[in-house]
Amino acid sequence: MSDKPKIRVATAWLGGCSGCHMSFLDLDERLIELSQLVEFTASPITDVKEIPEVDVGIVEGAVCTDENEHVLRTMRAQCKVLIALGDCAVTGNIPAMRNQFKLEDVVARGFIETESTQIGEMPNDPVVPRLLERVRPLHEIVRVDAYIPGCPPDADTIWYVLTELLAGRAPKWDERTLNYD
Amino acid sequence: MIAKKQITVTIDGQKCVGEQGQTILQIATANSIHIPTLCYLKDLSSWGGCRMCIVEVAGSPKVVPSCATPAADGATYAANNDRLRGLRRLTLELLFSERNHICPICPMNHGDCELQQQGYQHGMDNVRYPYLYPSLPMDMSGKYFALDHNRCILCTRCIRVCDEVEGVHTLDVAFRGEKNRVIVDLNATFGASDSCTSCGACVAACPTGALFDKAAAFRGKLNNCQTVRTTCTECPVGCGLLVSTKQNRIVEVFGDHDSPVNRGHLCVRGRYETWAVPRERIVQPMIRTIHTLKPVSWQQALREIARIRGKLDATQTALLVSPRITNETAKVVTRLAARFGKVGMFVAHDEAALCSAGVTASGKVDMLTDADAIIVLGAQLSRTHGVLAAKIRTAVRRHGAKLLVLHARKSELDAYADICANVVSLEHVFWDRVAGVLKNAKRPALVYGAASMTPIGVTVMERLIKILEGNPSGKAPIMIPLTASTNSLELARMGIGPVEEIAPWLDAQPLQYLHIVASDEPDGGARLLDETPARELLKQIDCVVAQASYQSELTEIARIVLPAAPWFEKSGTVTNIEGRELPLRPVLPPHGEAREDAGILEALLS
Repeated sequence: MSDKPKIRVATAWLGGCSGCHMSFLDLDERLIELSQLVEFTASPITDVKEIPEVDVGIVEGAVCTDENEHVLRTMRAQCKVLIALGDCAVTGNIPAMRNQFKLEDVVARGFIETESTQIGEMPNDPVVPRLLERVRPLHEIVRVDAYIPGCPPDADTIWYVLTELLAGRAPKWDERTLNYD
Repeated sequence: MIAKKQITVTIDGQKCVGEQGQTILQIATANSIHIPTLCYLKDLSSWGGCRMCIVEVAGSPKVVPSCATPAADGATYAANNDRLRGLRRLTLELLFSERNHICPICPMNHGDCELQQQGYQHGMDNVRYPYLYPSLPMDMSGKYFALDHNRCILCTRCIRVCDEVEGVHTLDVAFRGEKNRVIVDLNATFGASDSCTSCGACVAACPTGALFDKAAAFRGKLNNCQTVRTTCTECPVGCGLLVSTKQNRIVEVFGDHDSPVNRGHLCVRGRYETWAVPRERIVQPMIRTIHTLKPVSWQQALREIARIRGKLDATQTALLVSPRITNETAKVVTRLAARFGKVGMFVAHDEAALCSAGVTASGKVDMLTDADAIIVLGAQLSRTHGVLAAKIRTAVRRHGAKLLVLHARKSELDAYADICANVVSLEHVFWDRVAGVLKNAKRPALVYGAASMTPIGVTVMERLIKILEGNPSGKAPIMIPLTASTNSLELARMGIGPVEEIAPWLDAQPLQYLHIVASDEPDGGARLLDETPARELLKQIDCVVAQASYQSELTEIARIVLPAAPWFEKSGTVTNIEGRELPLRPVLPPHGEAREDAGILEALLS
């Protein structure tokens, strides 16, 4: 073990399917290597909820609710380098498809009009996060330092970006590394 | 021809030689210098709309689109540097932000989308412009393809190919600014379009997933399909096909750009009707028991045929073949002829005379595109021979070729004609008009169909040729015979007589055994049953053998059914109206126990 202090990392899962975190776990044995260099703090994987001050924040998913926005702003405030992980975080992707419609129509479709719904009700519990009028990619809310596109980005791409950043280099994107799906 | 003046330019430090009038892009491409493009498509007019192909001109602060800018002799251009790459990436970001390009749910994802590929090549890891998320409709009403405005980049490749190659101009753009959008006719839908021929050229030209083939969507990525070159056997034009397959299925069919016949273009029949419409295949030999067809082995079926034929005199038997059979199958048929009372090929109504005339085209069908006067005499070709119709329309639309349509029935081509008349009602005044229209013809062409073989048709044709030969240029027209049936001209030359009326042919001598090679006729050969007398006569025959690819009314009345390979499982050659021998190559292995026509007939011989 080196004496070098470990880089502290937090991850967050906003409006996404968790596929990007699954892909992160697909690093498999490389996770052991990564854990030599990095200390995981708050993350859906560690189940630590409060985001402490960290070096790197990795965020999956688009900003769909006021809670998503709060988590994102907290992450931005707590981290030095913010990475948008996956297409939802980078482009809005599938969650942003609802932007073509009015919010109330989308909610009504989901909670009242679906074929399987017998007695539908609009969600109104104050505990439930409020949906934003429009779904947005991360960089439309806060400053983002690096992007990893992909739906999900595969483990090799995540590994490439993390190792490049850990080595103090900016990842180079071209047709070999980029993937929007 | 006068040689164009040579010019020399410098592109990215490389000395390049081109011709006066060539664009910077053409010269760069000819000299292996890559310039990215999106709205540019070879063989279409330049649009210069996407701004991906921009280059720097030494001494000018502005960048210019290389696809639309003629190169200037002695000029120096930069085609690839950091500034241009940055500008191109900005263009891509604007394109991505303007519509809803959601790659994971697009059928062109994974390498079939040029926009996505450009994004990768320009290292576009995010889009710095705010996404507009416009609310846009989809047009799913077309039978074979759909238009999703969410993925459209307004490159107008579809519009230009529809206008310049298919020649119908169904597509155009409407509305202003960010509402600018591709429209069908006057803002109609594909399903309701009067002008769309469903040729699918727009889909083939689309760089993104905005236009896509319904039957091909999500069936596999074209870039990892196997592709086989073969020939369309739907009509006697003989277009080249590129068939993409994956896991023993056809994924998509496109026109072969290397084919001298169609140069990449196809009509709805070749592009879709042969594969995108599900049909019930016959997968094994069957013998009729009292009511139903019972599956049997090839051995049992052939033995049964031998047993029945063994009891009969050759004169009581007949062989009737489809005009779709290959030349190789036809050779077997001619060898078999002695064993049957008679052998015939069923052709379209009124077509026997033309098929027997022993004619071939006196020029190449592609010359129609350059013709300045085209006469269509007694042929219906707008839908049945779509690629020819497209060549005629583009000749009229592009360089104002004169078009005369003389026929017995109306067709969509009439709208493009200078003179359009029924061949049976020709008066004296009319000929003055015809002579007037054809007066300046220097490159005339005459496409003649079945109805030109009638006495009046022959008279009209002679008169037309006389008019053309009496012109100042005195050029005889390129003569193109046009049958409805695929290989009928060559088969007739090989000695298989055309039969246009089935009933009298059947009635001529009492038959006990009739072997029908229906091949993959669109209606399964059921058109033989169109006439009631023919149907009755067929039912009276003790044993009808139907050798067919698809189930049909014919197989319903047959006593023995033999599974035949359709076009995509066939090998051999067919001969088109130009007399060109074109290859058929098996695209897929035989389905079930299907065999090629020639092989089945060979088995009858032994």
